Amino acid sequence: MQTALEVTAPAVDEPARLRALEMLDVLHGGSEERFDRITRMAQALFGVSAAAVTLVTDSVQVHKSQHGPMALGDGPRETAFCDHTIRDATTLVVEDATADERFSHFPSVTGSPHIRFYAGHPLTGAGGHRVGALCLVDENPRTFTDAEQDMLAELASWVQRELDRTAELDSAARVQRALLPRCVPTVAGYEVAGMCMPAGSVGGDFFDWYHSPDGHLVLTLADVMGKGLPASIIMATVRAVMRSTTRDGDPGHALTEAAATLHDDLERTGRLVTLCHAQLDPARNELRYADAGHGLMLLVRADGTAHRPESGGLPLGVLADQTWTESVVHLEPGDTALAFSDGLLDLYDGTLDSLEQIAEVVRDCVDATHLIDRFTVLARRLGVRVDDVTVVAVRRES
Amino acid sequence: MIELDTEHGPDVAVVRPRGRLTMVHAADLRAVVAEALADGRTRVVIDLAHCEFMDSSGLGAIIGGLKAARQAGGDLRIAALQPQVMTVLQLTNLDRVLRPHGSVAEALRGD
Repeated sequence: MQTALEVTAPAVDEPARLRALEMLDVLHGGSEERFDRITRMAQALFGVSAAAVTLVTDSVQVHKSQHGPMALGDGPRETAFCDHTIRDATTLVVEDATADERFSHFPSVTGSPHIRFYAGHPLTGAGGHRVGALCLVDENPRTFTDAEQDMLAELASWVQRELDRTAELDSAARVQRALLPRCVPTVAGYEVAGMCMPAGSVGGDFFDWYHSPDGHLVLTLADVMGKGLPASIIMATVRAVMRSTTRDGDPGHALTEAAATLHDDLERTGRLVTLCHAQLDPARNELRYADAGHGLMLLVRADGTAHRPESGGLPLGVLADQTWTESVVHLEPGDTALAFSDGLLDLYDGTLDSLEQIAEVVRDCVDATHLIDRFTVLARRLGVRVDDVTVVAVRRES
Repeated sequence: MIELDTEHGPDVAVVRPRGRLTMVHAADLRAVVAEALADGRTRVVIDLAHCEFMDSSGLGAIIGGLKAARQAGGDLRIAALQPQVMTVLQLTNLDRVLRPHGSVAEALRGD
């Protein structure tokens, strides 16, 4: 325990600490139920004026969550109790702030809300940097037993788990982003572009493209039922299996082969996957594709007419021994073929009426990259996306 | 949110999801169907008259119910689909394995 006169020099790498805080991505966006439920419980459990989850930035203390009759305001770091808590790995207990020289001059002690008692347990970010605290405050001085300290530390570990989960999700998101194509393929006479934006950190959508040995471009776009981490695990599996199927020849065969491999996994996890698998043959100007319940494709001709190419079979994971057959679309100069997940419809009114608006964007764009950029901007503008948004465009140059 | 109606016969369960059938309630739907099947009600009808929205998770739960019902020697049918639900079913071509029926009575008769 620190004595009142001890001077604690913060022996921390402050820039690294701030990066750890930033990486947690919890500073902005207001209160969150996952923290609120813990402060509610802490306040009730200890019967204090307030319980809070605080974060300490370079200059201020932010209350991420607080509960109790005493309202705590964010304020400068120099006069924040939690700034002292994060200097040490142990719980800081101040039984009476008016009798402690470190704190007696704090505006929150001399004036409103007149804090007398404080107990805080530090919270850490990546690298073990202490970024904030779970703390209790009261308007009356009080003692804090060892058993109470243990209980506070226990609750803090719960907050910690939530923070770690965020960090884990962020790493998962980085891994998932790395599974998307890094560069645009070169296909003579064609422009190809794509984008994939998960609704959360990670999602169940993906697209993929690579050249086949016979000089065709293989393209896949898939939407795993559900969202978040569970869907992302299946997404990675489906992508790997699709990549390992035959790259030459009929996309229908490739899809049938992949579906047979995946069926048991999808059955056990109770997941369906809609998927569109295509091969672009630039010499013949043919786009051959097999559709597994995806259906969301749009062909916009150079003259502006638009239609949905015929759609084929069932999604993956419905029936065992299902087969898929290929369909062929012939691309003329200036034609654009588009495949997308249903998240794109949600950028409009969510129904199939949106197809006409999507076609209008295609007509309005000069090339495939421009087109994908337009959808990206639109998806970003929608603050809270409920579904992953994925689009792949193939355009034959005029 | 999801009602179970057992008044249509000893082996019949009519399941009524209300509102939006999404990831939030998909597990509930699976559970209600499983409960009905465990009870020997192997003719399951999902009455979608009051379900105005369904996402892929909702659809997945219904397909899961269909598989479970068939494994139990019965069947699962869907009735009274609202426009958005019909669109989702058609887009995914799942109307081929889950033929939409006009009403619960039609679904039970097999019309």
